[in-house]
Amino acid sequence: MLETFNSLMMGFAVAFEPKVFMYAVAGCIIGTLVGMMPGLGPLAGISLLLPATFGLNPIIAIVLLSGVYYGAMYGGSTTSILMRIPGEAASVMTCVDGYAMTQNGRAGPALAIAAIGSFFAGTVGVIGLMLMAPTLASFALRFGPPEYTALLLMGLFVLAYMSGGSMLKTLAMAFFGLLLGMIGIDVMTGYTRFSFGLVELGDGVGIVPVAVGLFGISEILMTAGQAEPPKVQKPKLRELIPSREEFRLSVGPIIRGSLLGFAIGIIPGSAHVISSFVSYGVERRLSKHPERFGKGAIEGVAGPESANNSAATGAFVPMLALGIPTGPVTAVMIAAIMVHGILPGPMLIEQQPELFWGFVASMYVGNMVLLILNLPMVGLFVNLLRIPYAYLYPCILAFCILGCYSVSNSVTDVWIMLGMGAIGYGLRKFGFDLAPVALGLVLGPMLELSLRQSLAMSGGTYAIFLERPIAVTMFGLALLLLALALKPVLFKSRDWRADVGLDDKTDGAPPGK
Amino acid sequence: MPESPESPLQEDSRGLKSDRFSGAVLIALACWIAWLNLEFPLGTLADPGPGYVPLLLAVGLGVIGLLVALFGGGSEPLRGIRWTEARRALVILVACAALTFALERIGYRLSVFAFLVFFLGVIERKHPLAVLAVAAGFSIVSFHVVAVMLGVPLPRGPWGF
Repeated sequence: MLETFNSLMMGFAVAFEPKVFMYAVAGCIIGTLVGMMPGLGPLAGISLLLPATFGLNPIIAIVLLSGVYYGAMYGGSTTSILMRIPGEAASVMTCVDGYAMTQNGRAGPALAIAAIGSFFAGTVGVIGLMLMAPTLASFALRFGPPEYTALLLMGLFVLAYMSGGSMLKTLAMAFFGLLLGMIGIDVMTGYTRFSFGLVELGDGVGIVPVAVGLFGISEILMTAGQAEPPKVQKPKLRELIPSREEFRLSVGPIIRGSLLGFAIGIIPGSAHVISSFVSYGVERRLSKHPERFGKGAIEGVAGPESANNSAATGAFVPMLALGIPTGPVTAVMIAAIMVHGILPGPMLIEQQPELFWGFVASMYVGNMVLLILNLPMVGLFVNLLRIPYAYLYPCILAFCILGCYSVSNSVTDVWIMLGMGAIGYGLRKFGFDLAPVALGLVLGPMLELSLRQSLAMSGGTYAIFLERPIAVTMFGLALLLLALALKPVLFKSRDWRADVGLDDKTDGAPPGK
Repeated sequence: MPESPESPLQEDSRGLKSDRFSGAVLIALACWIAWLNLEFPLGTLADPGPGYVPLLLAVGLGVIGLLVALFGGGSEPLRGIRWTEARRALVILVACAALTFALERIGYRLSVFAFLVFFLGVIERKHPLAVLAVAAGFSIVSFHVVAVMLGVPLPRGPWGF
């Protein structure tokens, strides 16, 4: 414990270096703005900023990008509450009661509770990250290729089970992503696969063009030609203070949402999105007056907002401790760290303590900055929402092309981005979740390498996966999830999505953002 | 009372289901990938070749596609999917493709300027002065921030612009 405290103090020394602090604040501000803009979610924001971090020190790069990530989580709530437009997908549930509160003249308290809940959840998430990541990393040192294969496969099953839509469709998208990950030079034999003669594809398909295409471009294609958004309310500072009753009602949902969000954040998938749906479902079920939900219940804002922020932090646990992304955002962040020659994984905390603890401490600082930004400056940020969408979306498109091009100065990447945008648009029309595609793309090469290494180790027998206790446990969990997923199909019973209201609330929401 | 054959409700519930169609597309994609994969050696189980894992994944995708199609009987009819924004989406994609094509040929600032003029002036029909101000402002400021301040090289085109 003392060692953790000392490490954290070292992290604070790094986080309070003027340059690091400045970038943390800049990341939070950019993230808040990105989160508020429909069509630019945290993923697109991070992807677009990625090239700008290449010249930075790796600590500053990750502090800046993570600031954008949780800044966007905060910012997304503002448009949800004031305009019923989810700035990013995790804020969809906040729209329901947050906007109802705005219509009831309680926009200020809704914004305040969302910010306070996000701050508390962010802090819980950071404490969890601080305590869990080193433990998980030291455990992961026992992992060999069979354990990694089992872990990655289990992750895909968890992703499919926890996804908001059909398990089969999610698995199909994960396989599609894994196949995209096969493009390029095979590291074990040097064969160039599925490159269609394009030299640029030798290194494979980058995560940035795929992510920006699937999430940024497809979102704009989906919203093309929509009506202008409604008029924006601009609450004054004194109107932000919640009543004593609103505070009392929010305490439980904030605590539950924070714990639930962190637990869900660790597992793969669109964790921050799922966590807000699950939290809303839990709060509605626990409430003595569930009929208030949908009509401006503050618990419907406090729970989901806390959950999605806590989940955003939880997602960093497997990323930092195992080197495995749990979603597209952490996949892009892994790419950002790897550009600097640093490999996230079990050895990261030991070999790069300044990076890990500096990052953890900067998250504390970032949470504080966001609380300060989101309450008194909400009126200032709201001005952004006054820009007509007709002006905004062409600029967002130009930003997407600019960001994608500048990652490796390649027009091929931009073509890939546009292609993925069109594919993403089509897939969303048919109800497919897009997050597994981006995740599969990153996991594909890892899965292939560990599977082939495992088979080589065993002399060509799959029995190796049954001889290793950790691998057997993980495969057992994967099978259990498969059985749980099949149960509602075979016995015509309700599954967890129906229980938390995920089946009927996703309509119109940007599923993959 | 039975519905008439022309009833929209009845018409919508008939025909190809969206998940059946999706499943068929997934199976076709899996077959195409498996066919492309033929040129890579599969190796042996003890030493899997570059074609081994892609084949496993293609088979997996095909099986899932089959299951999506089999369980897709209750999904929305294909013709029930609304494509109201498809025309605008196509225009956006074509304009983005034109910008991508022009980017390294005429430079970042000119191509982005033309792109924004097209969107704001032709598609959105905004006031010409506003169009020019936004297009010029965005292309110049974004170039300055990204290329000059952040040091990310952006294409300049034949006139150095």
